[in-house]
Amino acid sequence: MKKSILLATFLGVLVAGCSSTELQESQPLNPPQPELQSMQADDNQGTAYTSPDLNLLELRGNPLLAKDKRGIYFDFNKYVVKPEYMEVIQAHAKYLNETPAANMKIQGNTDYRGSHEYNLSLGQKRAVAVKEALNSFGVDDSQIETVSYGKEYANLDCVEQNSCGEDRRADIVYTVE
Amino acid sequence: MTKLLYIIFAGIFFFSSSISHALEVIEILGGKANQIPIAVMPFKSFGAPKNIAKVNTVIKSDLSRSGLFYALDTRGVSASPNSDKEVNFSQWKSLEAQFLIIGRVDFLKKEKVKVSWSLIDIYKQQTILSGEYVGKKTQIRAIGHKVSDKVYERLTGSKGVFHTKIAFVEKYNNEKYKLNIADYDGYNITSLLDSKMPIISPRWSPDGEKIAYVSFEKEKPVIYIQEIATGKRKLLANFKGNNSAPAWSPDGKKLAIVLTYNANSQIYLINADGSDVTRLVRSRSITTEPAWSPDGKEIYYTSNQGGGPQIYKYNLDSSEISRVTFEGKYNLYPSLSYDGKLLLYLTQDQGKFKVAVQNLLSNQVLKLTKGPLDEAPAFAPNGHMILFVYKDYGKTTKIGTVSINGLKIDPLPLGNKQVQEPAWGPIKN
Repeated sequence: MKKSILLATFLGVLVAGCSSTELQESQPLNPPQPELQSMQADDNQGTAYTSPDLNLLELRGNPLLAKDKRGIYFDFNKYVVKPEYMEVIQAHAKYLNETPAANMKIQGNTDYRGSHEYNLSLGQKRAVAVKEALNSFGVDDSQIETVSYGKEYANLDCVEQNSCGEDRRADIVYTVE
Repeated sequence: MTKLLYIIFAGIFFFSSSISHALEVIEILGGKANQIPIAVMPFKSFGAPKNIAKVNTVIKSDLSRSGLFYALDTRGVSASPNSDKEVNFSQWKSLEAQFLIIGRVDFLKKEKVKVSWSLIDIYKQQTILSGEYVGKKTQIRAIGHKVSDKVYERLTGSKGVFHTKIAFVEKYNNEKYKLNIADYDGYNITSLLDSKMPIISPRWSPDGEKIAYVSFEKEKPVIYIQEIATGKRKLLANFKGNNSAPAWSPDGKKLAIVLTYNANSQIYLINADGSDVTRLVRSRSITTEPAWSPDGKEIYYTSNQGGGPQIYKYNLDSSEISRVTFEGKYNLYPSLSYDGKLLLYLTQDQGKFKVAVQNLLSNQVLKLTKGPLDEAPAFAPNGHMILFVYKDYGKTTKIGTVSINGLKIDPLPLGNKQVQEPAWGPIKN
C-alpha cells in the first residue's frame, strides 16, 4: 500500500513535470479589495406599543406569568415539553385567551454542540413544542410567533461547567409587557 | 491531482477489508514520503521598504498549508542561485529536494513592485516554469499567492486556491458580530457587516460577487444577499418564523433556503430575486442545511427523521429521497466537492465532533480531524483543502485549514479573535 501511494505520487509528479520551460508574460492580479464602509445592520427593529387591551396588570401581577418562570427546559437533542411546565404554560394560555390583543414570541435555544443551522432547527422544534402545548389549551396560532436562536447565545464552556441544560430552553416573551 | 486523490481513495477501497479502518488509512497517508519536497529560497530584494511581507515566505506557507508539499528548511544553504545555471544540483539532491523556487523582488517607482521567479526541477536540472508579476506594493501577498497557484498547478495538475477569498463571522462576547472577508489564509480582512445580533451561514454566490447570509438583526433569523463590491444588500427572505441556511444553486439563479413559518424547519427553493418560493420536501422532522450537487440535480440535507441527524439527498427530477450517511449516530452539515465525488460533513465519533469526508462512489469515510469540538467544514474550490472551526483551550472558537489527505492542519493567523462560520469563495479568472 505504502509503495503504491508513493508510486502514484511520483507518477503524478513525473507526468506533470515533463514539458519544457514555459515563460510567462506579466499577468494581471485580481484588484485589491475595495475600501468598503462596512454596512450597519438594522439592529433591534420592531415597534412596540402599549394599550389597555393588553391587560398588563395581569401579565405583571400573576406569579405564574413571572419572567423567572418563562424558561421551558429540555433534554439533549430532545423537544418534548416535560409535565412540570404545564401549569405555567396553562397560565399563559389563559392570559392569551383572555387577551386577544396580546402577542407572544417563543424563542428556542440549544446548547453549543453541533452546527449552527441544525441547532437553529432544534431550537425551533422546542419553540413549536411549547406553542403546541399552548394550542392544546385553545390558544390560536395568530397570537404566537415561534423563532429560534439556536446555539447563538449558548455557553461554550457548558460541558466543563456542567451547565448545558440551562441552554436547552425555550423562552416566552411578549411583544408588549 | 484528481488522479492522485482517486488513487488514494481507490487504494482505501481495495486494500482495507473493513470500513472502520480510517485510522490506519490516515497512518498510511501520513509521513513526508507522500509529500513533494520543495525548497523555496529567500527572494533577492532590491529597494524593499521596511516591514513588507516576504514573497518567498508567502509561497512557502501556501505550499506547506496544502499538505501536498513538504517545504524544506533552507537555512544554512549558503548558495543563492539566480538561475538554473547556478544551482548546485548535487547539494539539493542530497537535501532530498525535488523542486526549487528562486526569485527576485524589485521595488519600483509609484509604489509598484516586480516579482520574477522560477521553478526548477532538481532531477531534470532545468527550469520548468518561470514568470513575472508587476503589481502595487500593497499586493505583495497577492503576488506570492499567484506564484503559489502557478507552481501548484504545474506540479499537481489542479488549480491552486491561494489567490481566493474566504468569509467568516467574528464575534465579541454576545454583543457584537462582524461578517468579514479575507484572503484564504486570513490576511487582509475587510468587514461587510457590523451587527449587535448574530450572523451565521455566509455563502458565496458561484460568481463570487455576492454573499448570502443569515442575520438575527430583526430579532429572528432572516436572509440577506449582499454585493461585495458595493456593500449594497437586499432582504431575500423575511417570512414568519425563521429564515436560514441559504445555499446557491450552481448557476446562481436560485437558492435553497430553510423556512419554519410556525412549524419545524423545511427546505424551500427561492429565486435569487426573492420571487417564487416553493417547498421542496414535506416532513414532520427537521430538514435543514441544504447543499447542491455541482450538476444542480440533487440537494443534500440534514434530517432527523431517523432519530439523530443524518444526511439525505433529494433528487430534483425524480423527487426521490435516499439516505447518504450510515456510519455513526450523528452526521450533519453536508457540502460537496466541486466534482461532486466527495461529501464533507461533521460527524460525532465517540463523543467527539470531527470533520469527515466520504467518497460517494465507495462510501468510504475518512475522519480528517480529531475534534473534540470541530465544526462547520467548508471545501476549497479545488477540493484539496477544508476550512473548519475548532474550539480552542480558552472560551473561543478558531478557524483552521486541513488538507484533504489529512496531513496538514494549520490555524489561520487571526490572533485572539473569536471566529466561526467560514465559507470559501470561488476561483476567479
